[in-house]
Amino acid sequence: MRRQRLTARGTERFRNYDAVLRQHEQEKRMKKIVRVFTFFVLIAGIIVLYVMVNRWEKKVKSKDVPKKEVRIKSNR
Amino acid sequence: MSEAEIRKEQEVIERSKKEPQAFGEIYEHYFDRIFNYIYRQTDDEELAGDLCSQTFVNALNHLHKYEFRGFPFSAWLYKIAGNEVNKHYRKSKGKKVFSIEELKVKELVEQASDGWDEEMVNKVINYMNELPTDMIQVLELRFFEDKDFKEIAFILDITESGAKMRTYRALDKLRTHFHIKVKYNG
Repeated sequence: MRRQRLTARGTERFRNYDAVLRQHEQEKRMKKIVRVFTFFVLIAGIIVLYVMVNRWEKKVKSKDVPKKEVRIKSNR
Repeated sequence: MSEAEIRKEQEVIERSKKEPQAFGEIYEHYFDRIFNYIYRQTDDEELAGDLCSQTFVNALNHLHKYEFRGFPFSAWLYKIAGNEVNKHYRKSKGKKVFSIEELKVKELVEQASDGWDEEMVNKVINYMNELPTDMIQVLELRFFEDKDFKEIAFILDITESGAKMRTYRALDKLRTHFHIKVKYNG
């Protein structure tokens, strides 16, 4: 238990709105960067997925095409 | 807080959503109260200073989400401050502290006959140490911060009847424990 609560003069050294504002701006900027980064990662992921699916489809199609066999009949 | 004051405060907050500089007025107005609220729960000036700053930064960061619910803006700040304190204790895994000014305890407890003495102060300290944290929180907000039950319920995320119940239970214990009159009846 304390005898007194901190007075306005006692809390004065902790009072700094400029610092609060600076930190707010910094966190806002950081949030924006994270959001942009997440967006690009998401887009990159979608592109990679698209390319992979495309390749896989091509692979499947090439397997489906029946192999041609050429026979030469000789009349001899 | 009168309705006109609440309305004026809301205007400042709406302005602050567009220009954060305007929030400085709210900061200056509530800084001491929020600082002391945190200080009581940490008993460390430096830590209280840090957590208080973080409280206002968080308030600014989430100001766009703030909606007026009939309480003064301070209720929202107290809620954020409480969350910051809890976060600190979760991280540090330390034991939660409640440090109360002697003057405030004297205000809370009006002795019926005997004068206030050191022995009584020590008894109250020991008694308060035994009280569960949620009861101390409610007592603190009700008597040391002069909050009404609606606001307490909002700050602590409990129901209004829950806040009342906790307060009356704590007061009853005080009355029976010390055979004294309690100034406020809730």
